[in-house]
Amino acid sequence: MGARALLLMLAAPALVSAATPRAPRIVSINPCLDAVLVRVADPAQIASISAYSQDARSSSIPLALARRFPANAGTAEEVVALRPDLVVAGGHVAPATVAALKRLRVPLAQFAVPATVEESVAQVRELAARVGHPARGAAMAARIEAAARTARVTPVPALIFGAGGLVPGAGTLPDDLLTRAGFRNASAAYGLARWDVLPLEHLVAAPPRVLFSVAAAEGGGERAEHHPALRRLAPRLTTMPFPARLMNCGGPTIVEAMALLRGARARLGEGR
Amino acid sequence: MSRATLWLLLALLLAAAGSLAAGKVWVPLDAWTSADPRSIIIVELRLPRTILALTVGAALGVAGAAMQGYLRNPLADPGLFGVSSGAALGAVCALFFGYAAQAWLLPLFALAGAAATMALLALIAGRSASLVVFTLAGMVLTSLTGSLTALAISLAPTPFVASEIVTWLMGALTDRSWDDVWLALPLVALGIAVLARTAPALDALTLGETAARSLGVEPRRLQRAIVLGVALTVGATVASAGVIGFVGLMVPHLVRPLARHRPGATLWPSALAGALLVTVADTLVRLVPSASELRLGIAMSLLGAPFFLYLLLRLRRRLA
Amino acid sequence: MSALATQALTLSLGGRRVLDEVTLALAPGRVTALLGPNGAGKSSLLACLAALRRPDSGAAMLGGEDVAALPARERARRIGFLPQQADVHWDVDVRALVTLGRLPWRGRGGAGAADRAAVERALEATATTALAGRPVEQLSGGERARALLARVLAGEPEWLLADEPLASLDPAHQLDVGARLRAVAAAGAGVVLVVHDLNLAARLADAVVLLRAGRVVAAGDTAAVLTPAAIAATYGVAVEVGVTAGGERYIVPMGRA
Repeated sequence: MGARALLLMLAAPALVSAATPRAPRIVSINPCLDAVLVRVADPAQIASISAYSQDARSSSIPLALARRFPANAGTAEEVVALRPDLVVAGGHVAPATVAALKRLRVPLAQFAVPATVEESVAQVRELAARVGHPARGAAMAARIEAAARTARVTPVPALIFGAGGLVPGAGTLPDDLLTRAGFRNASAAYGLARWDVLPLEHLVAAPPRVLFSVAAAEGGGERAEHHPALRRLAPRLTTMPFPARLMNCGGPTIVEAMALLRGARARLGEGR
Repeated sequence: MSRATLWLLLALLLAAAGSLAAGKVWVPLDAWTSADPRSIIIVELRLPRTILALTVGAALGVAGAAMQGYLRNPLADPGLFGVSSGAALGAVCALFFGYAAQAWLLPLFALAGAAATMALLALIAGRSASLVVFTLAGMVLTSLTGSLTALAISLAPTPFVASEIVTWLMGALTDRSWDDVWLALPLVALGIAVLARTAPALDALTLGETAARSLGVEPRRLQRAIVLGVALTVGATVASAGVIGFVGLMVPHLVRPLARHRPGATLWPSALAGALLVTVADTLVRLVPSASELRLGIAMSLLGAPFFLYLLLRLRRRLA
Repeated sequence: MSALATQALTLSLGGRRVLDEVTLALAPGRVTALLGPNGAGKSSLLACLAALRRPDSGAAMLGGEDVAALPARERARRIGFLPQQADVHWDVDVRALVTLGRLPWRGRGGAGAADRAAVERALEATATTALAGRPVEQLSGGERARALLARVLAGEPEWLLADEPLASLDPAHQLDVGARLRAVAAAGAGVVLVVHDLNLAARLADAVVLLRAGRVVAAGDTAAVLTPAAIAATYGVAVEVGVTAGGERYIVPMGRA
């Protein structure tokens, strides 16, 4: 054993007690948290990410990046085998899995679905801290906050129209994004709650100025998914595609979502 | 017949061993001793899950066989009395109101749902021993609890809660623990014991109700035993694993030839065959590559359609 | 063997008086036929005797005790009932079917040696031993009727009550089953049959009860009771009664009385 090794061994206790502990091994079972994780943690720290992140339709990270990590199906059995220092999950995990992790004394950090940009930013910071890289978390938080700065324009009524007519209302992240991008969420005008289905009749009777349609994003361009009634409203109502995966994740997807929304607002600025 | 039972038992042991060994994580045999930390997977996750699969399968098998014998109908299913959808509604309420954070509350709600449904069944059907009245009462309860469950899904505060409810309803044994086993096993054992005692009466019913009564069968007592037994077995199953269908429907068909068509003699083979079916299905479900583990209830439904097609073709051939 | 009797038995079904103060005494060791037009109450009377129906007032008595008050198991041992519907809901084999008749005698553990012996006797008595291993669905109508009779016989009851046991049988089988029933009575048990066919009743029954609209028109030995006058009063039909060369009575309906 060389002198250097000996030195390291002697220094080891000091290193451990210093401010940088051994970087924790993380398993994520939530694709939204994966998006944050792959950017704030060292690749060596990430033992496994959610298998959903390797599916183009549900992923919030580039597939090439996602495929570099092993994937899990979110069961306690897989998680335990990886012996992580921390498991990160969303707010809605199967009760049996949560109980199993608790019983097997695997540390679990659950992050509820963020309702506002501030919540999401706080989650980013916390996750980065847990992972042992608070600085990276701060950097990402700053980027998100910059992207989500409230626009100083007259709010234009808009609506996000999800699959099956599901509309996010007040108290949701998409609502916060709309407001910051220079829109006013028209869901309140229809008397909708936090998440509600809006019948097409009500929409056609009092259309907003802009409709962000998830269906349009899935098909790309003019799809027959668009009800003819909506197409006939075309001059008054502008429909724009809005990918579903930008709706609920928060984190870095906020940057992409805000870019989309701001772009849409800018285009309207002229033709008002 | 007892040779067939022996084969079933052997197959069951193999299936149980397979269930312990299989999964997305391969744990080599030498890691099974407590020295290796991976043994936690075996002891705390796979072993209770395997025992629960055996328990649930046996419960559903016996409940199905008893229902078919009691109703003299080979297409009867344990869910006919409404107990399984009542138990499901109880669990869904727990998920809807967010009580499921406490691990033991969800099964408790499910059992409460089963008990309430049983009480309602007794209330609606009254003291009538008529099968038609009883089956109709069961249908009323199934429709009612089913629509309330659908209502809960549609009123869910966020789509995530709705998704959680729907996922739970599809039935699974994923990540079940010894707590679930301690809940389900005694109740199922009691239920099976109650149903086993009805075997002679079920045999007598082969001759129709009048002849059975002349042989000393007391219809109301039998009905109470059947309802209690089915409520215990099915209620405990739903409480621990969600809604798993088709087992109670398919298994008695498969073992009936072994029991030489005597309804009372189908009970124990149905327990064994049901345990075998669910354990094997649960093992396969773990091995299927998918983003999240394939739900056991879905796997059973997928088995159901081809099974009935096979029954249909066999019947057509026989009638032709 | 105990006597089977009714005491002022009254029963209403769906608002209609089905049995009206029926008082009867039936003797063991004989075949008694219950006769009467449709709706006379024959099947209801049989059901009351077997405690399968509860009378509104009055009682059916077995050896002086109310049948309805007997414990179910004891009653099942002493009274065997062969219903009219030959339902067999599952495709069991004949031996299993006949073994069902031993249910009131069996202990917890299933069929014992005594039960198996009784089943063999019943199979022999009905000439169904050769059919013992066959599934019921493969039997002809006559074979099935014999198998179901064997089921009742296997219980070796004191009283055998049968509702139209010969109804859908061809003449050969009617003779066979009829002979078995007479043999059962000869061995000491009491046999009560509901029959429609007057000739069958004349041949098989030692005693006859004529019912009309829930009331007993006449009851007693066959020869004494089965007269044209009584038959006319019961059925509203005029008959001619004759005797064959072999001494068997026959009854031919001639027209409305």
